[in-house]
Amino acid sequence: MEKYEEKEIRFLTPFDEEFPEKLKFITNAPRGIYVRGRLPDPSRPAVAIIGARDCSAYGAAMAKFFAEALSDAGVQIISGMARGIDGIAQKAATDAGHASFGVLGNGIDVIYPKQNKEIFDTIVLKGGLISEYPPGTNPLPRFFPLRNRIISALADVILVVEAKIKSGTSITVKRAIEQGKDVYAIPGRLTDPLSSGCLKLIEDGAGIALAPTNILEGMGIFSTEKTEYKSKTNVPLSGIEAKVYKVLDLYPQNLDTLSNMASLPVPDLLTVLLQLQLKDLAEEVGKNNYLRKV
Amino acid sequence: MFSSINTVALYGMNAIMIAAEADISAGGLPVFEMVGFLGSEVKESRERIKTAMKNSGYILPPKRITVNLSPADVRKSGSSYDLAVAFSLLSSMGIVLGKNLEKTAVAGELSLSGEVKAITGVLPMVIEAKQNGCDRFIVPADNAMEGAAVEGIKIIGVKNLQEAVAYINEETEIEATSFSLKDALAKPQVSDADFSSVHSQSAARRGIEVAVAGMHNILLIGPPGSGKSMMAKCIPSILPPLTVDECLEISKIYSVAGLLGKEGIVTKRPFVSPHHTISPNALAGGGKIPKPGAVSLAHRGVLFLDEFPEFNMSSLEILRQPIEDKVIHVQRTAGACVFPTDFLLIAAMNPCKCGYFPNRKKCSCTPVQINKYLSKISGPLLDRIDICVESSEIKFDELMAAADEEESSEKIRERISDAVEIQSKRYEGTKLHFNSDIGIREIKLYCKLGLKEERLINSSFKKSCLSARGFHRLLKTARTIADLDHSDRIKCRHLSEAIAYKEIDRRYWNGEI
Repeated sequence: MEKYEEKEIRFLTPFDEEFPEKLKFITNAPRGIYVRGRLPDPSRPAVAIIGARDCSAYGAAMAKFFAEALSDAGVQIISGMARGIDGIAQKAATDAGHASFGVLGNGIDVIYPKQNKEIFDTIVLKGGLISEYPPGTNPLPRFFPLRNRIISALADVILVVEAKIKSGTSITVKRAIEQGKDVYAIPGRLTDPLSSGCLKLIEDGAGIALAPTNILEGMGIFSTEKTEYKSKTNVPLSGIEAKVYKVLDLYPQNLDTLSNMASLPVPDLLTVLLQLQLKDLAEEVGKNNYLRKV
Repeated sequence: MFSSINTVALYGMNAIMIAAEADISAGGLPVFEMVGFLGSEVKESRERIKTAMKNSGYILPPKRITVNLSPADVRKSGSSYDLAVAFSLLSSMGIVLGKNLEKTAVAGELSLSGEVKAITGVLPMVIEAKQNGCDRFIVPADNAMEGAAVEGIKIIGVKNLQEAVAYINEETEIEATSFSLKDALAKPQVSDADFSSVHSQSAARRGIEVAVAGMHNILLIGPPGSGKSMMAKCIPSILPPLTVDECLEISKIYSVAGLLGKEGIVTKRPFVSPHHTISPNALAGGGKIPKPGAVSLAHRGVLFLDEFPEFNMSSLEILRQPIEDKVIHVQRTAGACVFPTDFLLIAAMNPCKCGYFPNRKKCSCTPVQINKYLSKISGPLLDRIDICVESSEIKFDELMAAADEEESSEKIRERISDAVEIQSKRYEGTKLHFNSDIGIREIKLYCKLGLKEERLINSSFKKSCLSARGFHRLLKTARTIADLDHSDRIKCRHLSEAIAYKEIDRRYWNGEI
């Protein structure tokens, strides 16, 4: 125990006063949890933002936008600290100076995935980390579906940003429905496999998250401030820049496609694309693959 | 009687004048001794020479015969000494007129029948002999064209020993082989592959054009089947024509490697594409007596490395120094060899293991896998690549709809030739040839930026579209793009294009898009 105290890790059982009420009465309730930092405030609303690890740029932008808007409205963001949507949402919330809570599928002192190290360090300052596995436990594939029940249990609402039909996200959603939580999904394109899970959820009757206000109003938070995704149409563009911006998509496209669609030779196209990048309207993801920045 | 005749030894690319001395004297038991730090193939030549002479009608007297190849501290290897030793012996025997052998060098291999067979390295031998004051070189008939490329020395091609002896004794006349390098270079080149057969790929085409125009190393990234290898095969058809000096440089290397054909000279820029299983030695050059490797065989031409990350890490790292210094030093027990390695590196690779990143509909590689794939190419090597472009996947309907209106290699070559001419005018009188060769001093001189351009660079830095590391490379590439545009100054549009060709940034590959 001394060792744990050194690392500021606490161990809580259902007999402790601090143990979250929300975790006590779920199926297969955890016998105890390890905590670093603090636990979600039960008097404030909590939303779990979850989704694919290998998300698209669209998914990443949406995760960031919803996490910022929701946490600005006082919502606590809960997620699984994974690569992709989870990490992006949590980073957005902590960067905005709000509380975020990560539920891990490994020991609380094990940093996984490694590229999220920065979030591991900052998240405990405002929010906290939770795991039911003893410190030092390495991540194993079978731990992750199990930790999903804790994510859904701690949240009041689940927001699915991007997911394939068969994925870890679908397990969290299943647990959430069992636990009687509201599920929202962000719509995507019919042709995009990364949005197929979200669209299936919408078909099954999930809430459609067109804007953060949809979720906030569902939880009884009404704000006069209208939070809508602002597309960047107010930046002045020259005729040729507007033409190229129009053919850019939310999904990466290569130079050939762009050059055909904008009917511009490559050297000219590159000049315009650099201008758009400088104006923060386009981004190069992957070599010579460009997308519209939303 | 003592006699001596000139021949040439080769060590790597270095040719050294050798005197083949022979002495036949009476007294003691009959013996035939050869000395002078000889390799086993040279020692064996004793039996070859003896039999070849006998079969040509010259019988060695049963006397004390000593042959020395001098200087005796240079190791002799190869089969090129046979003819010279035979001549030296014949001269000692009084069959060949010794005074006719002055200012004459001889090299060739003998078969038992007395026939003179082709050898490797004739071109550097002839150049060395000419520099040492020889005005005539007797070579195997098969190598005559190769030697004739050197001006100012008479090249006599001989078929057999008897013919050679008759020529030296002025009994028959053999016409010196003549060969005009300029004519050979002026002949129109026919290439197997032409850019007109490459569909779309406008970005990669343009990248290759810029790369070839300034000899900038280029990395092609793209999904499998996007035509990277096909485009690479078309590159010989757009390479700028060779100059006479360049032609001799290349031919020397091919002569040493024994790769010159009957036509005797390399008239096209080489295109070398080794398989990715190539060993470090085959790439760098090696062997007991070092032979040029792939990096040298690609001198003044193209070294194409397909499936770049599949190459052995130690093979790839070899490229670093040759790219920088444009020569490679191969060190072996018998001494060091220097081979020139001024090549245009064209590398092709997939963006990830499955090949489809960043198309997430098809690619399911994890960032760890993508990183692992990319990290097979080291940073220092990437630093030496000026241009990086992506070739895109060709969709089936595009392929079907494609008309035959694609630009042909000839048009591209015309533009490139113009740009090359501008560069050679700019660097006249210096050792530099292309924009990729220039150093910091020349960059300051020739790549001046205006106020507008500096502002563009500044904002690109701020936006992290650029890294400081690649700044000079960027300027060199921009210079070439401006040359292609016939512009004296580097303008904003040239810079913008060069920025788009910058090195792959690792940030894009770790999945945090």
